[in-house]
Amino acid sequence: MAITAASGTSSSRATFDRFKWPVGYVVVILFLFFLYHSILPSLVRSVSAPVIAWLPVATINECLMWAILALGLNVVVGYAGLLDLGYVAYWALGGYTAGWLMAFPFNWEWDFHLFSPVKVTLPGTHINFWLVCIAAGVLCALLGIIIGAPTLRLRGDYLALVTLGFGEVITQFFRNSNNIAGANVANGDPGISSIDPAGTGPLGAAGIAPKLLTNSAVGNVWKILVLGLLVGICIFVSLRIREGRLGRSWLAIREDELAASMMGVPLVRTKLLAYAVGAFFGGIGGVANASLITTAVSPSGFDFGKSVLVLLMVVLGGMGNVWGVTVGAFLLSWLNSNGLKQIGVQIDSWFGTDLQATLPRYNYIILGLLLVLMMLFRREGLIPESRTRALLKTPSRTEAESLGAESLEAEAETEAIENADPEEDAKIAASAAAMAGSGAPGLDAPRREEQ
Amino acid sequence: MATAALVAGGTQRKAKVRLGPLVERILGYVVLALVVVWVVANVVADPDRFLGSALVGLQNGMLYALVALGYTMVYGIIELINFAHGDLFMLATIVAASLLVSVLGVGNLTATSILPLLLALVVCMAFGALVNMGSEFFAYRKLRSAPKLAPLMTAVGLSFVFRGIAQQDYINGSAQKNWPVVWGGPAIEGVFVYKLLMVLAVTLPLLIGMTYIVSRTKMGKAMRAVAQDQDGARLMGINVNGTISFTFGLGGALAGAAGVLYFLCQTQTYYDTGTQLGLIAFTAAVLGGIGNLTGAVVGGLAIGFIQALNEGGAYGLGSNWSQSVVFLILIVLMVFKPEGIFGRPTTEKV
Amino acid sequence: MSESLFDSTQLGSTPDSSDSPDAERQGHGPGIHPVGADGRDPVEANVLYADHITIRFGGLVAVNDVSFAIPPKSVVSLIGPNGAGKTTFFNVLTGLYEATEGAVYLDGKDVTAIKPHKRAAMGMARTFQNIRLFGLMTAEENVMVAMTPHLRAGVFSTIIRTPGQRREERQARETARELLEYVGIGKSEGELARSLSYGDQRRLEIARAMALRPKVLLLDEPTAGMNPQESANFNEFVYRVRDERGMSVLLIEHDMSVIMKISERITVLDRGTMIAEGTPDDIRNNQTVIEAYLGKTGTREGKRNPPTNAGEA
Repeated sequence: MAITAASGTSSSRATFDRFKWPVGYVVVILFLFFLYHSILPSLVRSVSAPVIAWLPVATINECLMWAILALGLNVVVGYAGLLDLGYVAYWALGGYTAGWLMAFPFNWEWDFHLFSPVKVTLPGTHINFWLVCIAAGVLCALLGIIIGAPTLRLRGDYLALVTLGFGEVITQFFRNSNNIAGANVANGDPGISSIDPAGTGPLGAAGIAPKLLTNSAVGNVWKILVLGLLVGICIFVSLRIREGRLGRSWLAIREDELAASMMGVPLVRTKLLAYAVGAFFGGIGGVANASLITTAVSPSGFDFGKSVLVLLMVVLGGMGNVWGVTVGAFLLSWLNSNGLKQIGVQIDSWFGTDLQATLPRYNYIILGLLLVLMMLFRREGLIPESRTRALLKTPSRTEAESLGAESLEAEAETEAIENADPEEDAKIAASAAAMAGSGAPGLDAPRREEQ
Repeated sequence: MATAALVAGGTQRKAKVRLGPLVERILGYVVLALVVVWVVANVVADPDRFLGSALVGLQNGMLYALVALGYTMVYGIIELINFAHGDLFMLATIVAASLLVSVLGVGNLTATSILPLLLALVVCMAFGALVNMGSEFFAYRKLRSAPKLAPLMTAVGLSFVFRGIAQQDYINGSAQKNWPVVWGGPAIEGVFVYKLLMVLAVTLPLLIGMTYIVSRTKMGKAMRAVAQDQDGARLMGINVNGTISFTFGLGGALAGAAGVLYFLCQTQTYYDTGTQLGLIAFTAAVLGGIGNLTGAVVGGLAIGFIQALNEGGAYGLGSNWSQSVVFLILIVLMVFKPEGIFGRPTTEKV
Repeated sequence: MSESLFDSTQLGSTPDSSDSPDAERQGHGPGIHPVGADGRDPVEANVLYADHITIRFGGLVAVNDVSFAIPPKSVVSLIGPNGAGKTTFFNVLTGLYEATEGAVYLDGKDVTAIKPHKRAAMGMARTFQNIRLFGLMTAEENVMVAMTPHLRAGVFSTIIRTPGQRREERQARETARELLEYVGIGKSEGELARSLSYGDQRRLEIARAMALRPKVLLLDEPTAGMNPQESANFNEFVYRVRDERGMSVLLIEHDMSVIMKISERITVLDRGTMIAEGTPDDIRNNQTVIEAYLGKTGTREGKRNPPTNAGEA
């Protein structure tokens, strides 16, 4: 919910604005659940089949899981403006935490059950899904702080590269994890399989839901609710923090780090908190993925491409806007896991081509082009936060300042000459005037001191 | 080329890890000393393997230098880390492979292979130059005055596109493709002599040519001017767009050449080599001082050597850990000495 | 860097009062370091005290042994031709630059090694020459950012909105609105900072700085771009801030009419060295100051003049 100027709106209109998105979200989740729980099974095949083809349950669950990740990255990139290209590291660590705390033992065996829905006789450590989520979140938050600490003074592109490197290193660590100084820490390339499904606690006991959310048809439907709840929690926490002191500090840092620090914002602490909170969500996403989607975790699933995919979701959705990011996540993960294939099938049925096999293989190309096109033509995303729109259209403060106000004007002039884009011109001229306007118009001012 | 304005941090205040400069110096020397000790230990433990590693390091290092030059040139002139550069290099390896094997039928490498090799060089360098210049023209140019986030993400997007294109050839999902190219001739500690000679024979003239262009020609002067002050250069009548295009072209050509060499050295192509090698080459560029051409070469050789020693030396961690080792170097650089060996530290104005 | 220090002209040696030959010292004992003139320890007596600050960038001396005091509840100005090092000095006071030599004391405490955000929390607030607002946040939010040091709520209490946190936020919002009213832009609280007029933006910057509850307010060229009416309003405002809020104000300014009218004391820098210090009357007639601004070719009193090459950045 963007804190835009709400002048002139009546109180009821304001309430509607304030609640339309959260209510809409809950409605959508419940609708999806009941769609698969009751509606589709009772419909005739010819009606339900296309729905299932275009939006299978598995895909819905995947979309929700990706939304968790996107919301986490949104905190780091969207709120605090820190370009993290190695987000996959937290996802991986989260998944492996599940592998360590709630799976069939792969190496050592420590028999310990804690509120786990699986059979008590099962060997190994089995901790409750929700508790593991928290544990993974905390572990990832720590990793986030470790990764964030050396990057604190790096500017944009360097930050991106260093975080990217961290992502690669973590992945390589897990790939080599069967032999870390002789110990098998995480089973290396094959990864850890047989990760526990989540339990449904009281609902399962009452017989409404299956006791364990395995990959069965009915289990998958109930997973919608679990994942939907997790996403909802992430959205809720994001919004709450954003409206408070920390959120303001993040936005200030995103805009002008230097001015923020001069106004009392502790840069180190604020940035590390951004990494920590973002990583926390990533950990949750990792557990959700490992337990509910893939029931296993392996290094091959974690690569730079996944980091970029999450970034693309945040960019597409409009950086800083939780609702936009959620929508962006749904859209892109759907496209990636099912959409391209379905579109291929559709086009095949119209034109007799064989795209259904090949189109999904073009996913990297399509996603890459999408990113490029978005940067060129619609940087603010589909549903941008009002701030992001302006932030991405004008040069950042520190860069402009390091050139001096005059240079900014020169820049604006040259840009105006080179690209005859009137709309862009107007925006840039306006901001240049606003920022460089401090050059004392009206007084025959001497050249300003550029210190 | 002048060292580009490398902003090492947010505030002027020395927020460097809160240690006095003296302690930093000491730490730096300690790290250096440890590295030297490690190298010496390797020499002592198994001199033959060390020799082999050194040669491999030289071989790879030259390649890294070529790619690092591309990064450093582009960064120097428009302060953009061209994320897609590594993947451009990867595409070049595939073009080289297809050309040499599928089209020209090169199999066993003999003296007669020199002609197809030269042809491949020309083609791939042209390919690299064109693709890079195209990227600049269609994507980066429009974003030159946009906040750094935009061209950066565009570069990431392009790297994806390149990767996706390369991926089409790997239908069964494996990232690696073997090509029936065989080396012959003498070898020192497993390193083919002719391979090494080829690498040197190609890279040295290229590097010399590069130095000549940048320091002696008009265009080189224009490059340096634009790197220092774009607006000033424009006011002096320099065609800034053309100069930037040219720079991209040079960088791309170097990546193309590196692609040919890499393919011939490895006789394999991987579609995901772009990211990894890109990171290595970028670390090399930073190590030498980003924006500094000599630095890129020195950095490339250094990283190549360290990696080879890590993989082949007696006390190395093995190829499993090469990525991490190189990356650790990058982290340490970023935290303690972002300007690299030859760079000058600059800071932000208030 | 646009310092005119690359001139062949001498970068002043330490302006030791005892051997400076022709500086016209207007009635303050040991001249150029007036602090401690009344015998009290300048660190304790002043809300801000800079002790023998020297700033060197490599071989370049940007500020040369400048000492500077701001008494409590006072208005002090720092002037000088372009390139004199005023903003550099400013940046040392606020912690952005590290002085090569010297110390800074805030309210009796040594803050020389303390980071900018902590100094801000301790009571030193500033505005910027080129307005650095958070353009994409509303005016109210801009002011509330500066309250960060004084707010207590942690992450968890923010998430679950404890009564304490809610109260704190409400009070913060009220304080922000009150400050916006105080500077005269109360009606704009919900507007994005970047859409405010230039004058309103300047006011917002001051309101934001005041939200830090500072003991000393450092204003960097606050009247640039103001017409005479606005300047007059500004003068009134500075008095109010000093008297009603008990803050000291330090101004860097070029507008002589404002300086002369409201400053209790003026310090003049030229090429990194303090060349004069005193009341407006002292400075107005000080030959060294006039020469610094105009070169040695005559004077025009009181008005703002473009400096000749000697002072140009």
